[in-house]
Amino acid sequence: MPGIDECLLEAMTVNGARGAAVIEWTSGLALGMVGEVRDDDPEATAAETAELARMAAEQRAFAAVGADAEQGGDAEGASSVEDVIVTTGTCYHLLRFVDTAFDSGVFFYLWLDRREGNLALARMRLRDLSERLALI
Amino acid sequence: MNPHTDVPPAPPARPGGRTGTGPTLTVLAGERASGALLCEAGTVYLSEGRVVHAESPVAPGIDVLLTTGGRLTAETWREAVGHTDGPGGVGRFLVDTGRLSDAELEICHLGALFDAAYFALGTGTGPRGFQRDAAHWLGPVRPVGADAVERETRRRGRLLDDLWPCPQVDTAPVVLRSPDPRSPAVTRRQRAVLELADGVRTPADIARCLGRPAFHTLIDIRRLAAAGHVETPRPQATAPPARSPGPGAVVWPDTVPDTVFADPGIDLLRRLRDALEATL
Repeated sequence: MPGIDECLLEAMTVNGARGAAVIEWTSGLALGMVGEVRDDDPEATAAETAELARMAAEQRAFAAVGADAEQGGDAEGASSVEDVIVTTGTCYHLLRFVDTAFDSGVFFYLWLDRREGNLALARMRLRDLSERLALI
Repeated sequence: MNPHTDVPPAPPARPGGRTGTGPTLTVLAGERASGALLCEAGTVYLSEGRVVHAESPVAPGIDVLLTTGGRLTAETWREAVGHTDGPGGVGRFLVDTGRLSDAELEICHLGALFDAAYFALGTGTGPRGFQRDAAHWLGPVRPVGADAVERETRRRGRLLDDLWPCPQVDTAPVVLRSPDPRSPAVTRRQRAVLELADGVRTPADIARCLGRPAFHTLIDIRRLAAAGHVETPRPQATAPPARSPGPGAVVWPDTVPDTVFADPGIDLLRRLRDALEATL
């Protein structure tokens, strides 16, 4: 059963990976971080990606269709948004929400070099890793 | 270097806060001390200078976080606590017996640690004393550098003040109010907070009911207060006022971030008006 660090190190084996982190989007705190960080400011990077994750998780425009029928609990506050992807001319940034069975508000963040990385593959790897973070 | 000559870390961001009489976290970390740093609003546990856990009466403990959401039953938790005498403590027992994954324990533990540390170190009157060699029953999970805990505590204080610089909403009972129809919509997490606001529960009570870290609830409360969904009570007179305001005067928070005035949009002016009305 891997811990945060094992999952982060495994994320770094994704082709083109430059940095990975597990971040609380509710607070902007990085629980773990490996690899390169933009502008050498890990706290700012965590807070900025958390803000993007928060917007995606909370804005109604991105709620899953049919998610209005939410009266029946959803106690863990899981987001209906699965991931957020930002592409630039040189990089891919992937944010994947981790569905824990307690109220954590955590997402997995991975950024890749666009020339070496494969976006579809990286997204699937990140999905699997996020599930392993929260699953026994 | 004599650690006692160190400049103490920045005082708590809270207006009226003052440095307590106990040793500071920075000094203890420099000495690679182990034990419990007792603060007015919580306790921070150190092992060889690194922070291994924190607790605060304001912040739900890891037991509340894990059982409220249904991740563990109360029975499983009690069973684990019965094994505190093991070498690894309760945390290790939960992982070794397959109740939790390592990552789950780490995520929950770190969330609870930084949450409680914010209240212990960032609010109240600071450290009161140090109980050397006291260890927490949870056992070591993922130790964190003391400087990281101090930095994060300060960042959290700034974050709250940037959202709505009225710390009195953090501790007062949450009272609903009818917002302006143009107020920002309430998010799903905020709706859960509002549903528990009965005019008696404080943000800490609501956090406990929801099984959420208290700081996360404070973020929601400050946003809801800024948007006019909950009342912003008049500031308590606990902060020693530098000058005593006349009757009926508006008591401004000690620190009003410049950012508040950087964008004098109509929305901001409306919120200011609402806040003024709430305090008059």
